[in-house]
Amino acid sequence: MNDFDWLRQRLESAFGQFLSQAPELARLWGQWFDAVEGEPVPLARLEKPLREARLALVTTGGVHLRAQTPFDMHDSHGDPSYRVIPADTPVDELMITHDYYDHTDAERDLNILFPLELARELAARGAIGGLGTCYSFMGHIEPPHVETLIRRTAPEVAGMLRQEQIDAVLLTPA
Amino acid sequence: MGLIARVIESFGIPTVCVIGLREIAERVRPPRAIHLKWPFGHPLGEPGNRAQQLCVIYIALQALYTVRESGTIIDPGWRWRREEYEEPDRWDLP
Repeated sequence: MNDFDWLRQRLESAFGQFLSQAPELARLWGQWFDAVEGEPVPLARLEKPLREARLALVTTGGVHLRAQTPFDMHDSHGDPSYRVIPADTPVDELMITHDYYDHTDAERDLNILFPLELARELAARGAIGGLGTCYSFMGHIEPPHVETLIRRTAPEVAGMLRQEQIDAVLLTPA
Repeated sequence: MGLIARVIESFGIPTVCVIGLREIAERVRPPRAIHLKWPFGHPLGEPGNRAQQLCVIYIALQALYTVRESGTIIDPGWRWRREEYEEPDRWDLP
């Protein structure tokens, strides 16, 4: 990483932390955000009742197992890779690597960001049909990595969700 | 996140996103979104507030059945730290 990348990363990190404290500025930033715009995708239908539906969680909050490689915070364009989080993972085996938001509270109670324990509880009491393998990405992905996300890593996750016969997915951001 | 939701939905699996920035969702167009104007890092609310977290999960899962148009953003209007939440007692959706 050269000096420019380092400086940019530090500035963006500070900016992200600042936005965490300043929601109005964050909304303005949203207007400028150079996101990929899209036409609506056709809705897939959930045909079965919730008590029979197998759910999976996907977060972009940078959650991963302590034993897994952390997300790459050195690339100022982000990291389009993902981590597989088994549904029965003990929460104390999870951590967050993401410099662009304040995750102090999420580390105290991961349910505010990645509700693995609550979803397991809903499955145990029969509110949902089950909890499948979950996945985590890091948000803040910019070109050229957006292409990797759309063409490779997100389809890989979608393929695994389909293979596991997941009926619905709840996505939560940072 | 909206981009990932779009890819998953295109594989035939219904998705619902919790979002904090409506402006981005209006451009990226995730298939279904619940908009909560809460601080970054707190999409489901405050640490330890189980009722709040379950309310967000419930309204998100409900959207899987109620949304009829792709790109719909539901805004429950829940303010940050100024709402009383009761844990949903029935989950028999739809």
